[in-house]
Amino acid sequence: MKLRNLRLFCALFCWLVTTQLAVAQVTVSGKVSDQNTGNPLAGATVKELNGQGGATTDDAGAFSLSVSSADATLVVSYMGYQSQEIALSGRKTVDISLVAGDAALDEVVVIGYGTVKKKDLTGAVSVVNTELLRDRNSQDIVGAMQGLASGVKVTSSGLPGQQASIIIRGLGSLTNNAPLFIVDGMIGGEAHLNPADVESIQVLKDASSAAIYGSRAANGVVIITTKSGKEGPMKIQFDGNVTSTNLPRYDLMDAETWKRYDDLAYDEAIRTGVAGVVSRQNHFDANTDWQEEMLRTGVLQNYNLSFSGGSKSGNYFVSFNRMVDDGALYGSGYDRYGFRVNTSGKKGIFSYGENFVYTKTDRKNLNGNPWADFIAISPTIPVKDEANPGGYGYGNPDRANNYGRNLVAMQELRPQDNPENLLKANVFGQLSLFDALHAKLNLAYTNYSGVTNTLRKSGNWTMGQGNDAASLGFENYRSDDILIEQTLNYKKRIGRHDIDAIGGVTYNTFFGQTNWITKLDPLVIGDKYITSLDAATGITTAGGSYQKARILSYLGRVNYAFDDKYLVQATIRRDGTSRLPETTRWGNFASFSAAWRISGEPFFDVPFVNDLKLRASHGTLGNSSIGYWDYQAVINTAPRAVFGSPETKVLGMTQSRLTNTDLVWERKTTTNVGVDAVLLDNRLTFTAEYFHSKSKDLLVYLPILMSSGNEGGNPAVNAGSLANRGFEIETGWKDKIGSEFSYSASLNLSRVRNKVLDLGYGRVEYYEFLSKAAIGQPLGAFYLYRMLGVFQSAQDVENHKNSQGMVIQPDALPGDIKYDDYNNDGIISSEDRQLVGNPWPKFEMGLSLGAAYKGFDIGINGYGRFGQDVWNGAAAAAADFANNQNNFNGIVPWTPENPVNDRPRIVFGDTRNSRGDQSRWLENGSFFRLSQIALGYTVPERLSRGIGLERIRTGVTLQNLVTFTRYTGLDPEFRDSGIFTIGADNTSFPNPRSVMFSLSFTF
Amino acid sequence: MKRYIVYLTGVFSLIVISCDESKLDINNENTISTGNFWKTEADIEHGVVAVYNMFYRQGTWTRNIYTQMQGMADDGVSLAGWTELNEYAKFIFTNYNFGEVNTKIWREHYIAVFRANQVLDHIDDIPFSNEQHRQDLIGQVKFLRSFYYFYLTTLWENIPFVLKTSSASDAPEQKTPAEVFAQLEEDLNDAVSKLPATRPESDYGRPTKGAAYALLAKVYMQDHKWQEAVQCLEWLVDGEGKNYYDLTTDYGDNFRNTTENNRESLYEIQFSLINRVGFDQTDNHLDPNAQLGTQIEMNQAPVGIGWNNVEARRWLVDYYKREQTTDGKNDMRLFYSVWYDDAGKDFPERPDTLIYGNNWRADWGKRVFIKKYSTDENPIYYWNDNNFRSLRYADILLLYAEALNELNGPTPKAIECLNRVRQRVKLPAIQNSTYYDGAQIVSDKAAFKEHLKIERALELSLECVRWIDLKRWGLDDQATINELKSRDSDFNNFIIGKSSRMPIPQSEVDNNPNLTQNPNY
Repeated sequence: MKLRNLRLFCALFCWLVTTQLAVAQVTVSGKVSDQNTGNPLAGATVKELNGQGGATTDDAGAFSLSVSSADATLVVSYMGYQSQEIALSGRKTVDISLVAGDAALDEVVVIGYGTVKKKDLTGAVSVVNTELLRDRNSQDIVGAMQGLASGVKVTSSGLPGQQASIIIRGLGSLTNNAPLFIVDGMIGGEAHLNPADVESIQVLKDASSAAIYGSRAANGVVIITTKSGKEGPMKIQFDGNVTSTNLPRYDLMDAETWKRYDDLAYDEAIRTGVAGVVSRQNHFDANTDWQEEMLRTGVLQNYNLSFSGGSKSGNYFVSFNRMVDDGALYGSGYDRYGFRVNTSGKKGIFSYGENFVYTKTDRKNLNGNPWADFIAISPTIPVKDEANPGGYGYGNPDRANNYGRNLVAMQELRPQDNPENLLKANVFGQLSLFDALHAKLNLAYTNYSGVTNTLRKSGNWTMGQGNDAASLGFENYRSDDILIEQTLNYKKRIGRHDIDAIGGVTYNTFFGQTNWITKLDPLVIGDKYITSLDAATGITTAGGSYQKARILSYLGRVNYAFDDKYLVQATIRRDGTSRLPETTRWGNFASFSAAWRISGEPFFDVPFVNDLKLRASHGTLGNSSIGYWDYQAVINTAPRAVFGSPETKVLGMTQSRLTNTDLVWERKTTTNVGVDAVLLDNRLTFTAEYFHSKSKDLLVYLPILMSSGNEGGNPAVNAGSLANRGFEIETGWKDKIGSEFSYSASLNLSRVRNKVLDLGYGRVEYYEFLSKAAIGQPLGAFYLYRMLGVFQSAQDVENHKNSQGMVIQPDALPGDIKYDDYNNDGIISSEDRQLVGNPWPKFEMGLSLGAAYKGFDIGINGYGRFGQDVWNGAAAAAADFANNQNNFNGIVPWTPENPVNDRPRIVFGDTRNSRGDQSRWLENGSFFRLSQIALGYTVPERLSRGIGLERIRTGVTLQNLVTFTRYTGLDPEFRDSGIFTIGADNTSFPNPRSVMFSLSFTF
Repeated sequence: MKRYIVYLTGVFSLIVISCDESKLDINNENTISTGNFWKTEADIEHGVVAVYNMFYRQGTWTRNIYTQMQGMADDGVSLAGWTELNEYAKFIFTNYNFGEVNTKIWREHYIAVFRANQVLDHIDDIPFSNEQHRQDLIGQVKFLRSFYYFYLTTLWENIPFVLKTSSASDAPEQKTPAEVFAQLEEDLNDAVSKLPATRPESDYGRPTKGAAYALLAKVYMQDHKWQEAVQCLEWLVDGEGKNYYDLTTDYGDNFRNTTENNRESLYEIQFSLINRVGFDQTDNHLDPNAQLGTQIEMNQAPVGIGWNNVEARRWLVDYYKREQTTDGKNDMRLFYSVWYDDAGKDFPERPDTLIYGNNWRADWGKRVFIKKYSTDENPIYYWNDNNFRSLRYADILLLYAEALNELNGPTPKAIECLNRVRQRVKLPAIQNSTYYDGAQIVSDKAAFKEHLKIERALELSLECVRWIDLKRWGLDDQATINELKSRDSDFNNFIIGKSSRMPIPQSEVDNNPNLTQNPNY
């Protein structure tokens, strides 16, 4: 910032300072009660409008609060009641009675560098009901958000310690579609966040809401605020829960059944003359259920203890978390300790806040992908086999000619653990002048350090594996991230004009470093390896690298409302990033939004409509979330060659990875229109949105041709343009019947359609195995050979002709797959692939139902996706016994006696029928899942107080126990393997099914 | 008032510090940037070594190319447990993106080409203290680039042809084999003129003038330019080359790791166990400790010992045994080339031969396993250091005979070359063969050519030469295919007009508008 600008700021202050000076302190007291019953309301919040701090009513409903003047306005709120604003008009005591009803309208929403009342929103923001998080057993905050907000697609992975993936409003980018997470004003940190510490979650979905985060927000922003203490005596809360987890299993053949099919596959190979096959296998005698060997009931224990409280001048929230996840997979596990201190305080014009969190985790890494390996290995192979190096069983050319990997051996012979430490701290100070001007300085620091320890014992887990030397591996990663943010906020209501303006500068610098060492031949005592590097006696190899990045941004936003009816917001942000070349690194991004509260107009008089608002927004965001130095090409110093006699090793250097040096900002422009309505005495809420976004200059690591000689990753390129459009509807109903029974229901629906508008490098089509992206088409459309059926006879083969009468598959045998000769040229070739499926759901739905009666409550959550095609990678991997893989019980292969038309003959050593790129493996992936059923019971207060506790609650939550789908794979909800093959279920980790028991006390 | 200004000034001063926009200039100093490289003679030397480095890759000469070249030819067959791998060697190409063979061989050859092009595009701009050294390096890189392209066009024929440093947006044009050969001929002629005839021991592994002549001759032969081929071969056999090259006395010396870089070797790929690291550590281009050895043994060792990805066809044994040596024994080339059930009986003077420390197993039956390049007496190790003799003098002599015969029929020179190869293994001159009709062979062009096909099969079996030979002799008539079928049932899957070239990796065809898939795929 230049000096001149600073002067400008100073001048501005001087003006403001001279216009308003007086600051006086007045104490008010009073009582809050229910308007209907007259009962006192304990725990209601009383605050001064636009003021700092607040008070909580005691058991008698009484409160006392310091306010800035005798003419101040109080805001009184209480869960389940409509908030009220009361002008003191000189009074020192006020009694307030609240009306029961929904408080949603007065809910304050965090929108980045500020807050706004939900009813005054002009952009698309979803507020996640964090009450519902309580009963979720996900230990990952992202996973816990599943189905709780429209347009937000959360897909969990099922692997302990691995985070769920989240996409807001479809794919806007080709590289990084993860939204920006802001936790307590800090960037990131969601990965290690303890869900129990979370107070609120808001999802900013359109450009105008997210614009203040500019370049980092193109995929939306998730703002998470952690808990803080409330004014009042110290509250201690303990939550404990124990979850029992099971992973779904394939219905695989046992050895007995498998041998029968495998013998048939060999008989067929011999009969049809597959080279080298002369007899059936001399099967191993074992009957190994590899799933039984690897899967177990996982037990996850999670304990939270928190202390919170506060006074007028400050408050605190301290929590401890301990989590132990003995994963449901042999050899996996995750262990976490968390510690958090949130405090804030205020004196006069100065206030401060601080969040400190330290997390220590330890993860046991799993080797291999069990869901692929379960299928790949024959069930006849024994787990242990003393004849092999290392003592584990695996394939053998004579007895089980199979390259499947022994999963137990992989975990035993290559244990790997990954301890991590994460420290995040931020502190902000704020000077508030004249109740209107707030200058805030926020400093945030994140330090991460992690180590991966690998012990490779000697021994093998698959056929044909070299007899490797034992080794120790040590890899260390650490990073520092510093964020400095300075903002100046002016917030004032002058008559019917409401102004909220903010300007600021943010600077973020990141440094990360990796070092690794591998040493061969660790010493062994008996059969125990010594895992200190000093005890490894063999060759040492080592390496390391660092990463650095910086972002500097200027931001400004103005919110203006007239008479609470006409609302506008304008945002501008200027970002500079070190990840783009000097000439193009700066980008300016602006957005604008407006809303009209129709219900505020005098002419609007519809009694059942409490609030009705129309809004629209338009804006552009940037994205530069690519690698640290994607525009700088470097030399690879690793190549070596050997010359001469005697041999000498000589150093080589070359460029391995190509780069594009002309990278620019990716830009995404979104237009959003929405309507918000609150109806029927605040019982029904309804929000609908329509959006259209267009991304251009998409940054993507688009695969380039192999003939370029590129290696080490595809270069980043600004490749083309993509459009997304869709709608979202969120509706909720909340009511009470009598004073004891309350219930609620909410439903969200969304639909996103995307279309490729342009592709990089001047291409009009882009292909990957299984898929094709073409201009005008959605990404990831399935592009496969179409299976027409199975040849039933030699005659049938002869009859499969093109229009010129050429026999299309002359070499086919009865029982082989009949493919569609799409281009009618008389042969089956790569030209016969065709678009056969769409991986994008027609719509997605989230549903939640809740009810409470006396101390009991029940919550049911469900979500579903409908209309998408899925490529079943597990079925393709099992194929037809070509490699002696295992297969599923109940398959009916084609035989002359049983001439089915949907599955070919099985034959060893012949893959012609089991190719992956055919329509045979596509299925309808629609599903609806009751992801959560939670039952809770809160002990009546008089009983709990009797034993000195304020609140006792116990509950049970069932997760993922009921799924409605026709998909035959393990789980219709899977993490995709890349945006170009979004519908490919490549033996992904299935979601666990679990039962959680929880208990919590407050005192 | 003043106090507020002090506060605010204090708060904002922090920002003033962080607003220095030049802080966004961060250079990647993890290694040298390309802008600072290609400046000195040493940079060029390093760049050249990086081209040699591509020999040590799974898709080049550590493993997969052996399976593919031998498996397609009639001397080898793949009965690998990995079905897709073995189908690929039998002309059953289902997935054109098959990673282990089709895309890996393709990709790694083009990486080598990219590395070579970088050197050639920079070498003329850099001052060299010794001009001859520059010329030598140009010669080496042109030899290497031609070497990689020779195998690319042998496998796929119609390939994208890249002669300049690539950029990401390139979509190179496809060239026919004739067009590729024309460029290789030009480059290799240039290499011949630039490379020294001999090198000190410390430079073994770098090509010589003789190596360039030999590769050039091979290219001319594939291009059916017999006259040009003869000129190259003449230098090697009758010209200056005869001072440097000769057949070794012991045929087995061509395949031992103790007799590397001998007089018979024109060009060999140098393998070493200097980087003795884990088996996982291969094919990582960023690993300075990546393997410099070869997996040729592991790839071809018999079932139950190695991967057995490729083995020999039985007809070789029968063909070797057709003729007796002048001292009444079996052809030693049989002993050195393969392991089979009757080896002990056929070579009674070598009764205790072990197969990686094992005796012949009865359950192997009539199967025949590849012995060339094995260190037979020792248990198998995942890697070995036995140099691969890519261009061998016996090959040159037989090519010379073939080219001369193509031009003028079986001239005395042609017959002499053939007989030098035969007589090294104590077979009689062809005129005195106990099995073949020597008189007809030495008098009839067609008969001489037919005999060369057999002699080359036996002399050069399982050395990745046969597929090149079959292509030179033509794979487009049914009679030839029928004859091949009789020796190798893999040819039952052979479709004329299709199978003599592999399918180009589909992702390359799909995404390069200038590239068409090979016919009938």
